[in-house]
Amino acid sequence: MLNAFHSPQSVALIGATSEIGQSILKALPHDNLETCFVVARDPKRASNSLKKILPSRTKLVEINFQAEQTQSHKEIIDQLFAEDDLDIAVIAAGVLGNNPDLDEASNALDVMVINYVASAHLMLLIAEKMKLQGHGQIEVISSFAQTRPRVDNFVYGSSKAGLDFMARGLSDKLKGTGVSICILRPGFVRTRMTRLMPEAPFTVNSDLVGKLAVKLLKSGESVGYAPPILKWVALVFKLLPSSIFGKISNR
Amino acid sequence: MRRIESTGWGRTLHSVSSEFEPRTLQELQELIGDKGNPRGVIAHGLRRSYGDSSLNIGGVSVDAAFLSGLTFHPDSRMVTVGAGVSMRTLERASLERQLFPPVVPGTGLVSIGGAIAADIHGKSHHTTGSFSSCVKRIQLLYSDGEIRDLFPEGPSANHFWTTVGGLGLTGIVLEADLELIHMNEPSVLVEETRVNNLEEMLTVLSSSDANYQHTVAWIDLSGDFRGRGVVGKGNYVSHDSTVEKTLPAKIKEGASLPFPKISGISLINKYTVRAFNEMWFRKPLTNGISSIDSFMHPLDRIQNWNRIYGARGFLQYQFVVPEGNEDFLAHVLQVMKDLGAASFLGVLKRFGESSPGHLSFPKPGWTLALDIPAHIDNLEQALNSLDSQLCARDGRIYLIKDARLKPEFVPLMYPRLEEWRSIRNNMDPRGMWQSDQSRRLKLC
Repeated sequence: MLNAFHSPQSVALIGATSEIGQSILKALPHDNLETCFVVARDPKRASNSLKKILPSRTKLVEINFQAEQTQSHKEIIDQLFAEDDLDIAVIAAGVLGNNPDLDEASNALDVMVINYVASAHLMLLIAEKMKLQGHGQIEVISSFAQTRPRVDNFVYGSSKAGLDFMARGLSDKLKGTGVSICILRPGFVRTRMTRLMPEAPFTVNSDLVGKLAVKLLKSGESVGYAPPILKWVALVFKLLPSSIFGKISNR
Repeated sequence: MRRIESTGWGRTLHSVSSEFEPRTLQELQELIGDKGNPRGVIAHGLRRSYGDSSLNIGGVSVDAAFLSGLTFHPDSRMVTVGAGVSMRTLERASLERQLFPPVVPGTGLVSIGGAIAADIHGKSHHTTGSFSSCVKRIQLLYSDGEIRDLFPEGPSANHFWTTVGGLGLTGIVLEADLELIHMNEPSVLVEETRVNNLEEMLTVLSSSDANYQHTVAWIDLSGDFRGRGVVGKGNYVSHDSTVEKTLPAKIKEGASLPFPKISGISLINKYTVRAFNEMWFRKPLTNGISSIDSFMHPLDRIQNWNRIYGARGFLQYQFVVPEGNEDFLAHVLQVMKDLGAASFLGVLKRFGESSPGHLSFPKPGWTLALDIPAHIDNLEQALNSLDSQLCARDGRIYLIKDARLKPEFVPLMYPRLEEWRSIRNNMDPRGMWQSDQSRRLKLC
């Protein structure tokens, strides 16, 4: 349960090896935090990182998560709610893919399954449970890339667009239930995942994204950008004619 | 049932639950008899608990307002009162019969069910003990749908003392028999003393307890936080009092002004608090007759005064620490000063003996209650640190005021928690009675 300062007692990090996800955990208030569910393909590795971030009194519960095994998702979510209420779930599972070309369908499939199918499925399952407990916040890591398709990342962008679309719809449906969804759309973030890629304008560190994500959780707003200026860049991107947008985005 | 959003008096926590407003006891029993909501049920009265004691997010909240019976027993000082009756209503009806509850809190707007669930106390604690001292029978609805009478002594005493101060987690109090005191006149002979620092305040309070039925001090939480303030002392006026001729002809009801609905803006800052507290400290002292209403319930002069703290709300940090720990009181004031936590309301009192309630708050020592705006930076860490020090000094915080205590501190502050839990679980094997606070503090 949240306390008077809205500090959580129990949180879950889905995709717990994600640097952005860990930065969000780092930025959350820790004073009241008793349990953190570490949901990852390699939960041990994620736990080792989180131990350095979280207070020693916080219990880390490691849960193995294979995104493509969708039939196991329900059991995973049941574990999050087995004992106490879950206050906050951060869905940070995601992969960029290896610059898939159109004909590399198998590569694209991984991106679609992890970024959209698994993440959206888990979000729905968590929302169902949170509705029963009457409260909870789900923070979904979307992306600026979902704004408009670009040749260099449209597979990744489409998977995040699908997740974003689902989250917005679910957010509306959950109004009045006590459960809310926050959608964070980061731009280019310096992480292990992007270290070999050329930086884009408005590149930020994951620590800043974590702070902005926590600010979004506290604000009650449903959508936020990291950095915030990307909100206006996204608006411009949407309004640009295709011919001009194509020239800019292909640079 | 309708879904409503509720909040505690401090307005820091908001909770969406299904509100059930039974019109009859049968309707309530039908609700309890159903399979029920997995999130359980909690009863509420006038929602004067500051945090989440009366909230039940995702579950059912039962409005006890329909429990409105009030029957005075002829030729005795006993009254049978419904759990939904307010203290103010009880007081006024009692005064018409020259009776009065021996223990009343700073507001008359608490329900009798709430007064039992919190085992409330008042300015008279050093002479009367807490509210349970006047409760001679509790009628309780159990989660099996049965209604049982509980008495402070005898075979049901365990359930009685688990219910007293039990935060509504043993069942729904339906009614109670209370033993009132004789009250010839609805007045109090008041004497106020201005004190310039904490040491002086402690001395005046200590020396006054033997001679006054009521003692309490307002402490200035602004400026240098040195503990200056006003100590109020009072005795009920009796027929043979020399001041009898000056008594008010009838019960005076203090004017109660509504606080405007300002949209979420806090009026609390160091300048407004400093100005108000300076004025309050300098106000002409009362030395004479006061109406019982204005002496007992100064907080009721402004309705919904909790809105003054704006949308973020406020906390009341109330603790008791045994005598010999006066340095801790000074330390708390210093912490508040360092935080810049200026406030209108700080109250200091010396408690008398404990009640046998397992989770009853009062115990011998000093109790300090501080209203603190929730938006103050680093407040959470500071209060956690104070809790830890409080445990080391055998102190405790008042759970009915709490909205942020860590669960690991509860058994340290309330060493009879495990005994309470065992009896409670036995009384409620279905786990029906739940609140946001019981989940947050892992009480059940």
